[in-house]
Parts: sequence; structure tokens; C-alpha cells
Amino acid sequence: MPRKLTASVPVALVLALAGAGAAFAAPGGVGPPGPNTPSGEAISRLYWIVLGLCAVVFVLVETALILFIVRFRRRRDTPESAEGPQIHGNTRLEIIWTVIPAIILAALAIFTFTQIPAVQAQGVEDEAHLTVRVEAHQFYWEYRYPSGETTVDTLYLPVDEPVELELTGMDVIHSWWVPALTGKMDAIPGRINSLRFVPETTGDFEGKCAELCGVQHAFMPTTVTVLDRDEFESTLASQQEVLALGKATWEGACATCHGLDGQGDVGPPIAGNGTLTNPEALHDLLLTGQNTPQFDYYMPPVGRGWPQKQFDALSAYIKSSKTLSTAPPATTGGGG
Amino acid sequence: MATRSEAMAPTWKEGSVTSWLTTVDHKRIGILYIVTSFVFFGAAGVMAMLMRIQLSHANAGFLTKGAYNEVVTMHGTAMVFLFVVPVLAGFGNYLVPLMIGARDMAFPRLNAASYWLFLLGGLVLLSSFLADQGGAQCGWTSYTPCSSEEFSPGHGQDLWILGIHLTGVASILGSINFIVTIHNMRAPGMTWMRIPLFTWAIEAYSVLLVLVLPTIAAAATLLLLDRQAGTTFFAPENGGPILWQHMFWFFGHPEVYIMVLPAMGIISEVLPVFSRKPIFGYKAVAFSTIGIAFASMLVWAHHMFTVGMPTYLQAFFAATSLAVAVPTSVKIFNWLATLWRGHLIFRAPLMFALGFLGLFTIGGLTGIMLAVFPFDYQAQDSYFVVAHMHYVLFGGTVFGVFAGVYYWFPKITGRMYNERLAQIHFWILFVGFNLAFLPQHLLGLMGMQRRIYTYTQGGIFEWYNVISSIGALLMGVAMLVFLWNAVASWRRGRRVGPDPWGADTLEWYASSPPAPNNFDSVPYVTSARPLRDLRLRLQERET
Repeated sequence: MPRKLTASVPVALVLALAGAGAAFAAPGGVGPPGPNTPSGEAISRLYWIVLGLCAVVFVLVETALILFIVRFRRRRDTPESAEGPQIHGNTRLEIIWTVIPAIILAALAIFTFTQIPAVQAQGVEDEAHLTVRVEAHQFYWEYRYPSGETTVDTLYLPVDEPVELELTGMDVIHSWWVPALTGKMDAIPGRINSLRFVPETTGDFEGKCAELCGVQHAFMPTTVTVLDRDEFESTLASQQEVLALGKATWEGACATCHGLDGQGDVGPPIAGNGTLTNPEALHDLLLTGQNTPQFDYYMPPVGRGWPQKQFDALSAYIKSSKTLSTAPPATTGGGG
Repeated sequence: MATRSEAMAPTWKEGSVTSWLTTVDHKRIGILYIVTSFVFFGAAGVMAMLMRIQLSHANAGFLTKGAYNEVVTMHGTAMVFLFVVPVLAGFGNYLVPLMIGARDMAFPRLNAASYWLFLLGGLVLLSSFLADQGGAQCGWTSYTPCSSEEFSPGHGQDLWILGIHLTGVASILGSINFIVTIHNMRAPGMTWMRIPLFTWAIEAYSVLLVLVLPTIAAAATLLLLDRQAGTTFFAPENGGPILWQHMFWFFGHPEVYIMVLPAMGIISEVLPVFSRKPIFGYKAVAFSTIGIAFASMLVWAHHMFTVGMPTYLQAFFAATSLAVAVPTSVKIFNWLATLWRGHLIFRAPLMFALGFLGLFTIGGLTGIMLAVFPFDYQAQDSYFVVAHMHYVLFGGTVFGVFAGVYYWFPKITGRMYNERLAQIHFWILFVGFNLAFLPQHLLGLMGMQRRIYTYTQGGIFEWYNVISSIGALLMGVAMLVFLWNAVASWRRGRRVGPDPWGADTLEWYASSPPAPNNFDSVPYVTSARPLRDLRLRLQERET
């Protein structure tokens, strides 16, 4: 009986999906992941409240719809031309169902506004806090710390200390999103956006770019590693060693398009390429990119804004790697 | 034989092809609009299925990288500019003159010009795929600087801009035509409180288009100049990337209501006829249409909660976005009240209208969630938004469009569609749609961002994607059922009279299909349901 199915299908689907989500993995997408910061907690709290409110309205409307479908379907003995009662409206009823949603929505708006200070961690501005500059590139993240340290794709933070990220885009718009920590913030060329939070749990938190930024938008991951204060300092220091910084830079800025061994992917193979092993030529290419029609490949100016030590570190890493600094043996076509 | 106005035309215009190429008849132009936009719907739908095949499992290599970004861009752009807006223009073209008892649109030649510009714009837009270095790749929103010359070399983005321009000009001309027609050509006695609610919706659609389309036209012009003439309107040191977003969404958000309001108008026509009752609260439904149209112009920056706007602006746009929910919920309650104590006749138009009610409600509620902007910090640019937007535009608008297609099929073709196939179409589409888009809410909360060509996660994350892809393919199957039904019924369906549904409005007074001049005369209109009045008068005379 299709009429009865009308009633049961949407309800069954919702229940099945919600059930499946809850059963498999926590939270399985039923709510935002985390939270591991007070801001994330405030967002989750708001989410559950507005979800609950919407669920009540959803159940009311869909139940009414299903009841009416079942109750008021034309009976077999009623001719098709028979009319229902000619009710043209009811002003009092209509005023009621205009005013009640208006009141509920106004209350929701006011409650939302009360949560803003917590969500935006507004108190952090006045406290002593760590400020990290986040420069988003096609297709990696460059983090700059107050004492001049640089890391690529991995952001190291001390636990329980407020942090303020100053985000900007070095080429196109990106969006920094680590769902388990807090909401996202866009990194826009020409602007500096601030995102504040206090990480309360140690561990690695996976993040990504949320704004379509080009061909490798899907592969622009970042990791936030939250450590105890001592560990944070020692790890950050060890990441500044030439080969460590060079390796991170290669993996973040180069390998996303050219492959981990420079074997080529979206970009052409570059292992052993003359430009790669010539520090000055490499420096120029990384700053200007490649955007001339006679080459098939477009390359973003990935080295915009790098300190000299990062260029040097990259060249040192390339030199240290046998795979990258020597051309791969010529392969014979059709082998194998 | 009745005198045919086309008999006066030169003979070369009488051929079966040339008569369509040269037609200025609003009904033929309406059919051209509807059929053309359904062809584009098919193309954009195939693109959607290509994407879902690519996303059906982790690390897939079916469509990769650049190709995926081209398809993601064209799917969105084509669905909005080449399907939803023009198919509604097609319904408006066909129906508005008939509904208000006019013989044609106010400017028939302008009307033909709108259609041909739209077709040209569609072809130019799709030709973007053939451009050097590929089609436009920055999404239907084409945010700068991604869409600038530096980061999108080649001519794909330029063709996208030209396509937007041509379809935009077509829509503006068409909208001016609708406004003039509705204001000046109504039958005697048809006051503003007696015009059909679909016509009300087309009035709101047209006014909104005239008000907001020039903004996107201006933005696209600036982008074209930046790309081709070396200007720097959107460079960070001048207007900046955010200027594009403001201009785009000042158009883009009203555009959502441009796409939804006429579908709501269709629902307001279908529900009363198939419940055998008048619409509950005509004035409330009509005024809520205007209320939604007005409020829709004050909410655009809720698409931009994560660009770093001052908090007071975010609060303002959150409040206005929540306020839109008030007239929207008025409509939902009034539709439910229309069903109350009716005699519901379960034919395809009603099934799709009820589908609209059930699914649009979900899209509206997730819209409220997204307006609560701290939650939007998590959901923005994630699959939660993708799911929300498809519940509004597919669960809402497209279900409404199908309600309209089946409802007016006998009027347009003079033949009845196959009811059995139509119901099969409904059920496959309904199940497929929910399978495709319900899991996407959960994916978004799990952290799946929009517009990615693949993902590496397995487990439940991959399973949700599998379900979603199966749903998308089911939707494709449903469309084949629809296509078969439409083609076969148009050729061989049972012939019907002027008014197979016992409907309320004047288009059912004309023959099916209507004569070229629509009506020889129109009865004096004394209420919002002139045809029912006429039926009652005839019954009185007989008894």
C-alpha cells in the first residue's frame, strides 16, 4: 500500500541513519566531533540545543503531514468531484502560528548571542597567549611561531594555553578546519583573520582545508599536535633542524603535487631535475611559480613568504636525498 | 476551422522546424524553455552521478582532480542557471498568460529573445569544458582569487562568465516581461487578491531577479576585466576577494528564493485541487511570498560567517536569516491546514507536492541550524551544507517542478501521462533522494568538506558515501522512468478535455492544448477560483 509507505519511509530512514550513525562510531556524524576546547564545547552545546528544537518541529510537522495523508485520503465511496469543507482560512489560527515561531526564533537568536564570547574565546585576547601566524598556500600550511620557528603542515601547541591563530592566504582563499578542536576560519589573501581557542587535551588532531582552493584541495591536510609545555618546546626546537624543516617543506609544499619521491602526480616528475638541484634556480621558481602557456603545467608560487632558512633547508634536504637529487633510471615503455 | 493567427505569417514560417524557430507564442516558448532546461537538467544530473561514482569509495580514481573540479563547478552552475531558473521561467511563460486570462505575454518578441539568449548562454557555459586548460574549476561560486587569471589560466573561466551574462540578460528580459504582463493584462475582475498563487510567486520571482541579477552581472564583468583587461578590482589591495563574495551572495541568496518561490507557487496550486478544498489563508500565503522575497535580500552574508566579519554583522545576518523562517513556516502550516479534512486524491501531482512538504521542511530546519552561526563555523563548506542545500533545492524545488510537470502535462500536451509510471518515478526518486542526501548531513559533521575529489577514510565514513552514491544512481533511474513516461505519453497518451482535474484556475478554461489565441473570451473573474465558480454556475443552471 503506497499510501501507508508514504508515512513510514521518511521516518524509518531518519531512524535507521541516526541509529546506524550512533551505533558504529562515536559520534558517527550525529554531532560535531570533540570537543577538545571550550570553544568547541560551546559550539557543540548550541548544536545539540538547536538540533533538539528542530527535531521537535520536524516531528510535529511530519507527524501532522502523515496523519493527514492517512486520515484525509479520499475514501473509495467518495466521488472524485466531492469537495471538502470550503474553509478559506482562520485569522486567529494564522496569527498564532506566525507569532509562536517568531517567539521561538527570537529566543534562539538571543541564546545564540549569549554563546558568542565562549565560542570566540574572547577572553583570550587579554591573557598572555601564544600567537601563531598561519600562511595558507596551494596546497599546504605554513606555521610561524613568535620566536621565528617555522613548521609545515603540523602545528605544535602547548596544552591548556590559549592560542591565537592569525590566518592569511598566500595565493587563493583557504579555510583552516580542525573539527575536533573548534570551528573553521578562512585564510584570505590580503586579510588577517584571528581564531582563538584553548586546547585542553594532548594528542594529534587532524584538520583540512575547507574552501575549494584548486586541484589538490582534497589533499591539504594539517595536524595539530598538542603537547605538554616541555615537550612542546623541545619538539618545536627539533623541527627547526635543517633537515627536519627541509623534509617537512618537501612533504608539504612539493610532494602534494610531485609525489613523495618526486615521481610526478598532478605535477610532472621532478626527481633529479636540474632546477631541483640548483638552489638559485629553485629559489626563483618557488617564488614565481609556473604560469606560462608554453608549459602544460601550472605551478603555484609555493615559496611566497618563506624565510631564507627554509629555502636553504629544502635544498639541503633535496641534496641529502639520493632519490630526489639523482635522475631515476630511464624506464622502457611497455615493460613488465 | 477556427482562424489561426499563425496563418497570417509568411509560408516559410510554417514548417515544423521553422515555426518553432520563429515562434513568439508564449506557450511554444514555454515548451521550448521547459524542454531545453530538462535537457540541461539531464546533463547536470549526469555530472552529479559522475561525482557520486568518484566518491563511492575511498581513494577512487574514476574522475580525478582537475576533471572533478570542472564537473563540480558545472553541475552547480548548470543546475542553477540552466535548469531551475529557466524551467520555472518556462512554467511562467506557459501558464501566467493563461492563468490571468491573457492572450500572450506583454512583449512576445522580447519573450522569444529571452529564450534564444538563454539557449545561447547555456551552450556557451557548457563549452567551457572544451576550453584550453579545461573548464571553470572554482565552483559555481567562482570565488576570487581562485577564479583570477593567475590561478585559473585558460579560457574556461571566461566562458563561464559569458554564460552567466547571457543567461542573466535572458532572465532580466523575461522578468520584465512577466512583471508588465501580470500588472497590465489580467482578465476583467481579476484583482490582486484573485490572481492564482503561482502567478503571485512568478511576480515575486521576477521582481527579485530584476533587483539582484544586475549585481552578479556587475561582479562577473569586473572579474572578466580583471582577467582580460588587467584591472585589479578584486586584488587584495583594492576591493579584495571579499568584495566578490558580497556581490555574489547579494545575488546568490535571493537566487535561492527565486528558485524556491515559484515551486511553492506550484504547491499552492496543486494542494487545493487534489484536496478538493480552497487554499487555507490565501492572503497569508500571498503575503508570506512577498515577505520571503523581501527578507531574502537581507540575509546574504550568512554564506560568509567564516570570512572574519565583525561579530555584530554576523549577529545581524543570523537574526535576519532566522526571521526568514517565520513566513516560511506560515506557508508550511497553511499548506497543512489545506489538507485538513480534504478528500486527498493520490495522483502524481499531489504525491510530489506532499514530497515537497516533507523534504522542504527538513531543508528549512537545517537552514535554521546553519543560521545559528557558531554551529555554522563547523558546518560551513562541509557536506552538511551540501545536504541542506539539496533538501531545499531538490527536495523542495525539483519535487515542486515535478508536481507541476504532472499537473500541467495534460494541459500542455492534451494527453494524460501514465499514472503508474509517474508513481514509480515518485517512489524511486523519493527513496533515492533520501538515501543520497540524508547521510551527507552526518558526513559533514564527521568533517567531510565540500568539493573534494576523494577521501582516505574508511569505515562508517566510507559507508555513508556508498549509501549516498547508491541513492544518486537510484535518482538517475527515476529520471529514466520519467523520461520514458513523458515521451511515450506525449505521443500516445489518452486524450483529455480542458479540465481533467476539476481545477480552480483559468488555464483549465482553455482547451488542452490551448488554441494559439488561448481564449475567445474569458469569464468575468469574481474570486481566486474562477473556474470553480463557473462549474458551480453551470451546475446550478442544470438543476
